[in-house]
Amino acid sequence: MIRLEGVTRRYGEKTAVDELSFEVAEGEVCVLIGPSGCGKTTTLRMINRLIEPTGGRILIEGRDIMSLPVEELRRGLGYVIQSIGLFPHLTVAGNISVVPRLLGWDKARMAARADELLRLVGLPPEAYRDKYPRQLSGGEAQRVGVARALAADPPVLLMDEPFGAVDPLNRERLQTEFARIQRELRKTVIFVTHDIDEAIRLADKIAIMRDGKLQQFASPEELLNHPANKFVHDFVGADRALKRLVRVKVSDVMRSPATVFANAGEIGFREAAGRRRFTYVLEPDGRLLGWIDTHDLDQGLSAEEAITLVDAGEASVGPDTSLRDALSRMLGLGFRSIAVTDDGCRLIGEVTFSSVEAAMAEGDEHIAAPAEADAG
Amino acid sequence: MALVGAVVALAGATVLPFVELRPNRLVPGAMHGFAAAGPWAFAVWALVAMGFTAAFLRGVKARLVAGSVSAIGIVAALSWALGSAADTLLAGQAPVSRVSMGAGVWVMLAGAAILGFAGQERTHRVLWRLVAAAVVLVALFGAFHLGGLERISLVREFEVRASSFWGLLGNHLALASAGVGLGVMFGVPLGLLATRNRRARGVVLGVTGVIQTVPSLALLGLLIVPLSALSQAVPALRAIGVHGIGAAPGLVALTLYALLPVVRNTYVGLSGVDPAAVDAGLGMGMSRGQLLMRVEFPLALPLIIEGVRTASVLLIGITTLTAFAGARNLGVLIIEGLGQFAPDLILLGALPTIMLAVAADSALSAVGRAVTPEGVRT
Repeated sequence: MIRLEGVTRRYGEKTAVDELSFEVAEGEVCVLIGPSGCGKTTTLRMINRLIEPTGGRILIEGRDIMSLPVEELRRGLGYVIQSIGLFPHLTVAGNISVVPRLLGWDKARMAARADELLRLVGLPPEAYRDKYPRQLSGGEAQRVGVARALAADPPVLLMDEPFGAVDPLNRERLQTEFARIQRELRKTVIFVTHDIDEAIRLADKIAIMRDGKLQQFASPEELLNHPANKFVHDFVGADRALKRLVRVKVSDVMRSPATVFANAGEIGFREAAGRRRFTYVLEPDGRLLGWIDTHDLDQGLSAEEAITLVDAGEASVGPDTSLRDALSRMLGLGFRSIAVTDDGCRLIGEVTFSSVEAAMAEGDEHIAAPAEADAG
Repeated sequence: MALVGAVVALAGATVLPFVELRPNRLVPGAMHGFAAAGPWAFAVWALVAMGFTAAFLRGVKARLVAGSVSAIGIVAALSWALGSAADTLLAGQAPVSRVSMGAGVWVMLAGAAILGFAGQERTHRVLWRLVAAAVVLVALFGAFHLGGLERISLVREFEVRASSFWGLLGNHLALASAGVGLGVMFGVPLGLLATRNRRARGVVLGVTGVIQTVPSLALLGLLIVPLSALSQAVPALRAIGVHGIGAAPGLVALTLYALLPVVRNTYVGLSGVDPAAVDAGLGMGMSRGQLLMRVEFPLALPLIIEGVRTASVLLIGITTLTAFAGARNLGVLIIEGLGQFAPDLILLGALPTIMLAVAADSALSAVGRAVTPEGVRT
């Protein structure tokens, strides 16, 4: 889909990007990462020709990007930047419609498309379409920035540290939403970041760069398990095992727990628990109510008194949560397991410490000492 | 601020001379206090008292209304007071006798202006201003035709020159507008050039800045020689009215003076556009022209209009000086007034110039607000 062949950019004596070659398949998210000044943004900006390469060539769907008129090329590449760059004199809908207007769409189609995209990025169109950029929070503005880039349905998205300027909480939410949107749309995405966690979370392929040179081009798992050199090894960090958990979803390792309906009574509770100590207690419609501890029953509490009620929003995780987030939630609550619930708070499984340990151990044998020498 | 205005108005209405009765239009005469206005003096005093009250009212709105009513009232009542004083003082005098406005009139007008504008920074109600202007005009018209205002020396000077006055006013407006128009025609592209090219920026901003420091009269004088040479050399230019003296050097000088405010505001407006918006626009596939017309100009327009406003006010004033180089406009009256030591003739040239400048200022402020995109209004 996108192919870089020996792409080079020189500024006088300095080489910002040096003989860079890699290929990104259609529908993949490729994250460019490295320390600042490594040439990742320069690489991105060469793809839409905001910077012209001094050597090599870039092909999109087999066509050299230099063969297209530059405006036409750019209109087919959605562009999202850290500082967003919304036009302050246009409404949210006006901003989203910038490229459709350049392409000469009619009004009704532009309005319908703007509404559709606002819904996609999680902003109710009725409340947002007529707002001006200065009335938006940072997170909302960046959602509009993403919607604007998607307006003309370009097959490729170029994103330059898109979530770098929002606070950590919102960044995580935006990442989750981006992952959801990407599952739906399957765009080919080139994504620049300096945040290795973000890269591991979102990437299908990671291109890790240093001083304009490609250090390793691999899937996140590969990068974590087989860092190509010391630089990559150090860049990924010592907590590789934890990082691996980012790539595992709760739904991949959850199992079905013992459950019982709230009206089962003491006998029912003991029966459901069997030899376990804890059993989840459900409402008749399957929603999580709490749990029961058989020790409490042993101490003579009545069936009703023994139920520990929980707030399902607090004490459970969704199936798409990463295993690392689930682990951190468990540690925060002091539990050795945590319930998994769907959107309607219905219990669909549980994740335990031991399943997290198992996932961490996977691939551990691969983490042999990496080669000391730098590739270069 | 209302208190300051009321105190100033009070000083004008008490201690300062109100009118001067002179045996003819050129020689000085005797000063008369505000009592010469008769009963109208009491009306003005009552309105000044209202101005004082305005300063001590509690509500912001009440203060604003009382201050504005007092200010407009003082101006309206003053026109009748002047007429009344002229009537009284000129009774039984020789026909060449003149009644001129004294310092008290100007100080009262200044006090009224302070009263009227105190608190106005919060309201830009166009309707309110139009009502104020209408009230003052009706009062002036009435005082003129019924209240004896037409016997004031300033009006007598006007009557003598009535046949040429409107022509001079029209010329004045035309010359100043042409200067602003040409200033925009050259200034906006130069401002754009300054944002696009760093080397051009230094030259453009530097040269227009230097032009601004050349004294107007000196610039006019300097232009006479090359323009007459040009006119001699190129008959076609002579045919369209380009001479060393007349409107041509004036127009060239005015255009040059208009350049700085227009160029600088265009440059500041365009370079103030968020670089991220420019990057995003280009990255999305806008051409430089589309970016300029759809993003950069709409965002810079309020500032450009602000530059046009500054240039207009500046040029309406400087236009009077072009009369020294032979242009026929309100400046002619001022120069003749200076030559004859006839202060009221000077006023006949100066007052309409001031009014033109104030009108241009308000009109272009309104345009500036109208072109400010809703999303960037504060």
